Amino acid sequence: MRATSVHRALAIGFLSCMVTSAASAQRSGASKSATRPDSRRTVACTVNSSDAWVKRQAVWFDESKHDWSNDSLRTALLAAAGLQAPLKAPVQNGVRVDGQAHTFGPTADALTQDLMKLAATRGSTWPTRSVVGPTGTHAVYLLASRDTALGRAALHRMMEAGPDESPAADVATLEDQLRLGWGRKQLYGTQFEIDASGKVRLKAMEDSSHADLRREGAGLPPFQLGICLAGTSK
Amino acid sequence: MMQQLGPSVIAVFLASFSLAAQTPAAKQISFAAEIVGREPKTFAPMVGSWVISREGNRNVLFIDGRVWKRGQPAGGLADKARELYGARNEEFIESIKAFAYYPIAVYKGIDDFQNGEISVRFQMLGGALDRCAGILFNLKPNGDYLTVRYNGTEDNVVLWTFNKGVRKFVNRAPTLVPLELGTWHTLKISIHGTSLKSWLDDKPMHDFTLSEPVSGKIGVWSKTDSMVEFDDFQFTVAK
Repeated sequence: MRATSVHRALAIGFLSCMVTSAASAQRSGASKSATRPDSRRTVACTVNSSDAWVKRQAVWFDESKHDWSNDSLRTALLAAAGLQAPLKAPVQNGVRVDGQAHTFGPTADALTQDLMKLAATRGSTWPTRSVVGPTGTHAVYLLASRDTALGRAALHRMMEAGPDESPAADVATLEDQLRLGWGRKQLYGTQFEIDASGKVRLKAMEDSSHADLRREGAGLPPFQLGICLAGTSK
Repeated sequence: MMQQLGPSVIAVFLASFSLAAQTPAAKQISFAAEIVGREPKTFAPMVGSWVISREGNRNVLFIDGRVWKRGQPAGGLADKARELYGARNEEFIESIKAFAYYPIAVYKGIDDFQNGEISVRFQMLGGALDRCAGILFNLKPNGDYLTVRYNGTEDNVVLWTFNKGVRKFVNRAPTLVPLELGTWHTLKISIHGTSLKSWLDDKPMHDFTLSEPVSGKIGVWSKTDSMVEFDDFQFTVAK
């Protein structure tokens, strides 16, 4: 699928359906600190460029300064991941549905092997933002999300590099995917599946009542917006 | 009456009285009287954004990793350091700035914890890089300290030392314990001389010998963008 989840999100988003947080029923009724997101609010199923999480991604993925150090690796990553720079925010909306495949370039397998070797080399320079630019880091995420072994190594490197060097929304989405593969529950609510009747379902999730706190920290849309964007069935 | 009770009963009575006299009372720190949305009054946040938050029907201490910035100490660090260490605050500030990767909040009610037990309940809520909850102890005026912490991204309990701004691994408890987010757990340490023991939910984790006895302030510890709630901070000072 060349049209990535971003495009899908935008397409669905403009349907402008309104959803109300299911999490509200789970909550005790006592309000959290005013500094925390309120998952009880009604959320419009629309992605707006003025949304805080979109603006945050727009800033992170801004490539106007051209401030990365390894152009050749970046070019190879973009070709392997089937990406063209610059990317338009939101780049990562935190909706990954099983079976909806991204279209990679013909060099994807070879570059996956190269990244595996890089990850296994102690002290090697991992392709982070300052090395391959924002689009290059998203290419790393896409390649890591199609290979469990690379995913595990990449997640460790991305977490180690920190939010200035690795896009937090990609890190969160990759962690969710890997956790489910390890038999654990996802943390952010980014992973969906299509059931036998063809309906989109959220996969098993841990502590959904604090999902918005985690998602805000990672620069993902509010939980209920993510649910809506995924097109889940009620 | 003494004759009627018999010597064995008297002995038990005296022994229990003696034990009660020797057993120090546990000090439990509650956040009930604190103001939600503000920094705690009982702890001095030195690094990170520590606020009182509401969880269910309780006030808890929340380290909010969403606003974590690399190398940025908590607001008002100079005033807090002066409150804790008086004239010796400058050395502490310099060291704390070097530690700004690791949020800490120092309990104001004790200056020199040497022997006894410290425990805290915690609930991890999130963190893209880290999900850490720890007990801070042996905090010196120069900013050096020790911490025993649980890391939810690694599922382990580890003792770390921080000296002159450098973090060093000391000892990892052999048992991996995966904990779910949004659930409460208790981390506890016991220090007697150079003996350090730790427990996670009453399961033994560490039984370790420190290089020297402990002496310093205590508190709670976290890491980078962790979002963790703390409650029921307790300590017992033993002679």
